Amino acid sequence: MSWETVIGLEVHAQLSTNTKLFSSASTQFGSEPNTQVDLVDLGLPGVLPVVNKDAFKKAIRFGLAIKADINQESTFDRKNYFYPDLPKGYQITQMTKPIVEGGLIDIDVDGDKKTINITRAHLEEDAGKSIHDAYPDKSVIDLNRAGTPLLEIVSEPEISSAKEAVAYMKALHQLVIFLDVCDGDMSQGSLRCDANVSIRKVGDSELGTRTEIKNINSFKFIEKAINFEIKRQIKVLESGEKVTQETRLYDSGKDETRPMRSKEFANDYRYFPDPDLLPVVISNDEMEEIRSTFPELPADKSKRYISEFQIDKSEAEIISSSRELSNFFEVAVESTNDPKLAANLLVGEIGSLLNKDNIKIDESKLSSNNFNILLQRISDGTISKKIAKTILAEIWETGRNADEIINDQGLVQIQDETLLEEVIIKVIESNSKQVEDYKNGKDKLFGFFVGQVMKETQGKANPQAVNDLLKKALNS
Amino acid sequence: MDNKTIETISYLARLQLGDDKKEKITKDLENIINFVDELQNIDTDDIAPLANPLEKIAPKREDSVTSKSRKEAFLLNSPESDQNYFIVPKVVE
Repeated sequence: MSWETVIGLEVHAQLSTNTKLFSSASTQFGSEPNTQVDLVDLGLPGVLPVVNKDAFKKAIRFGLAIKADINQESTFDRKNYFYPDLPKGYQITQMTKPIVEGGLIDIDVDGDKKTINITRAHLEEDAGKSIHDAYPDKSVIDLNRAGTPLLEIVSEPEISSAKEAVAYMKALHQLVIFLDVCDGDMSQGSLRCDANVSIRKVGDSELGTRTEIKNINSFKFIEKAINFEIKRQIKVLESGEKVTQETRLYDSGKDETRPMRSKEFANDYRYFPDPDLLPVVISNDEMEEIRSTFPELPADKSKRYISEFQIDKSEAEIISSSRELSNFFEVAVESTNDPKLAANLLVGEIGSLLNKDNIKIDESKLSSNNFNILLQRISDGTISKKIAKTILAEIWETGRNADEIINDQGLVQIQDETLLEEVIIKVIESNSKQVEDYKNGKDKLFGFFVGQVMKETQGKANPQAVNDLLKKALNS
Repeated sequence: MDNKTIETISYLARLQLGDDKKEKITKDLENIINFVDELQNIDTDDIAPLANPLEKIAPKREDSVTSKSRKEAFLLNSPESDQNYFIVPKVVE
């Protein structure tokens, strides 16, 4: 029997605001426990929540990026449940009128494109952190995270494999970082996902019973957890049993999912409008302000780079995917007449240096100005592209000026034909066997001679001049 | 309003009700439900739901940290604490 998988993801993105959604306590990660807690976060009697303007700005920014409808009037509701990391006894969330509705995310799975529709994205507060293993019979609570703004992004159940789920998560991850909505640090829980997974017979129109896998916080685990769950559900159904609707946890150590809590009662959150919070209205002026600072999105940037600067599609996509890299590129193309070279170096040599150090370009010692000098020296023939790599490596370590490095280390390219001819004659004389073979039709040996000349000149010979002069000398 | 419903609701609210209280609350809840039933008869098809009876909108706050840590005071007022943490009865997932 063949089965198909239906997956919907709920992604929680911690918004990168300075303060909480309803209080002016800091949201800084990693501070001493319980030092970033306000009366409001504790839910003490008599306090009132006041909404954070920037949390709304960021949510709207995300909504605009996915072409969603923005509800300029949205409201908050209480979701009631008792858990010690939520001192109020309820979580404030947007149930009936979320800030963002609709929208879409484009994903790419090994070259296959697909569009996933978004149901909604709503603001809510995060809970605190509980630690269960410090004492045998007690739990300990840190409320620093309680009240941190979350944007919960809910997809339609249109994802059909673990791979697609990962691609979707990666697309979201890239987008929220680019928009400066969330720092995207999954190891700190800034972006985490709940996966609703069900399977059904191919051709069935009704959805199967779903299970929800909670709090998956890495791309790798999303794929593994979903694949485990698909296999498990198929096994259950093929043995003639039924899938139980339940919440499960993924255990990465054992690579399995297991039921999270057995409940005597089904969840009954008794949502109702939060009487402490009035409707939040975003004025047309505020909308206009958000639109006017809205950045050019990676996909649009990429298209523009290709048409405006004729750079390769793959290079355009890599550069445009990072805010820092695209800013750097855009400064460079203002003064260079060779945007293709700039793109080439940024993706190639500089890209691998960035990966090696795991940093962003604005954290490196390479300044825009120095990069421009380097580009200029390649364009005007002072140095070869090969030497440029040596210089880049030095700049990477020391941040020194490219011209200084060229002068100090005598890296100026040899253009002088008489000088190059001398070297070529020397190479031909000391490799008579290869010269004979070459003349007898072993064309491939040409590269060998180029290599020898480069070796003699420590890579400083102008490659075009070497090619021309070598051809002349060998064919004479 | 049967006994089972009352028990479910009081469990969700973490309330432990004695028998005499239970009886009184059952009556109260029945009254409320009857009142809501009456309201249900009103035709509200063309009326937008009201999120808040005050016809005002929420003020918004600038995103700057003004709250200072009051950790010592908070922990002092909690039933149990250890170093920087609140201590609560074991809650296991």
